[in-house]
Amino acid sequence: MKIILPDRKTIEEEREPAVIKDILESLGINPASVIVAKNGNIVPDDVILENADELKIISFAHGG
Amino acid sequence: MNNPNLCSICGKPAAVRLSNPERRLCAEHFIKDAEERVFEAIDAAEMIREGDRVLVGLSGGKDSTALILILSEYVKTRPDVKLIAVTIDEGIAEYREDTIKAAERLVEHTGVEHGIISFTELFGDTLDRLVADRKNLACSICGVLRRRSLTEAARRFDADSIATGHNLDDEAQSVLMNMLRGDKPSLIQDSSLGYTGYFVPRIKPLAVLSEKEIVTYIMLKGFYTPLPECPYAVTALRMEARKIIGTLEERYPGTKLNIVRFRDGIRKHVPYSPKGTKGKLNTCKICGELTSGEICQVCRVLNRKQSDE
Repeated sequence: MKIILPDRKTIEEEREPAVIKDILESLGINPASVIVAKNGNIVPDDVILENADELKIISFAHGG
Repeated sequence: MNNPNLCSICGKPAAVRLSNPERRLCAEHFIKDAEERVFEAIDAAEMIREGDRVLVGLSGGKDSTALILILSEYVKTRPDVKLIAVTIDEGIAEYREDTIKAAERLVEHTGVEHGIISFTELFGDTLDRLVADRKNLACSICGVLRRRSLTEAARRFDADSIATGHNLDDEAQSVLMNMLRGDKPSLIQDSSLGYTGYFVPRIKPLAVLSEKEIVTYIMLKGFYTPLPECPYAVTALRMEARKIIGTLEERYPGTKLNIVRFRDGIRKHVPYSPKGTKGKLNTCKICGELTSGEICQVCRVLNRKQSDE
């Protein structure tokens, strides 16, 4: 599973399938403050991420 | 997730899940849903009257990007309405240049008339220089000068109203901040009404969309550009309010909307007059603009003396 964090750092590790929201919370990220893209497509955070998937986390919590 | 992640309308893969009513929407139907909610809000509150010239505050940031895109769609069904975008160049180095470029791309795409007004032109200097020795006050000083700039822009472009990109999060945070400060006048002041003969009404068409919905909207429309953060963005209380409301919204969906509706309910029971005026306005002894006291806020933050003008 590849996870691209808001600061563009990348985590690559073997993981069991998990709901995106749970992954965010395990990383200390409030799901309400980010938008997530699974394999390049924006998805709701209750979608499941499989080990082969890529998750991009986009933070928008500043500026208007 | 119990249900497959498919659009409730067309069955394509969904990009968003919304509540009240619970629904999943693909990119295309989310864009339509968000636009329709804004259109309904504009019509329900009669924000834009027949033949209005609407000045759109276009910073080039995420909220005003969504605002100009959605209003451009709205006026397709209201050919009587004219949009004019205006960008205020405060003079903030390594910040405003990028957002002005974004604003210029947007007006090129939408075909909306565009003007740029700078603090240097109106107030004689850049924000950077005006706050050089009082950076801790930069946000509040900038707010005062930006409001005056928009008023001046409305005058120049003969606008009937000023539309800004305030979203649901901004509005809910402001309610909480006003409560925490004990600032009742700001809580009940409704600038959308204007003040006939004095102030141009300020409308907030995006106040029905959350910040997350707005960013999702511009991403799905292909207009999301990560831009630098304003170097003066250090409003500690707003960050606290954002955190508190964000946590509550996560646990109790609908919290933001309920906060704003609660405020609107209070406003209906309180007679409106511009903040602190008790219905009476004066002209500033220095610059001649309207004010509730003797010297307007702009002249006060600029430390203008009567002999300066």
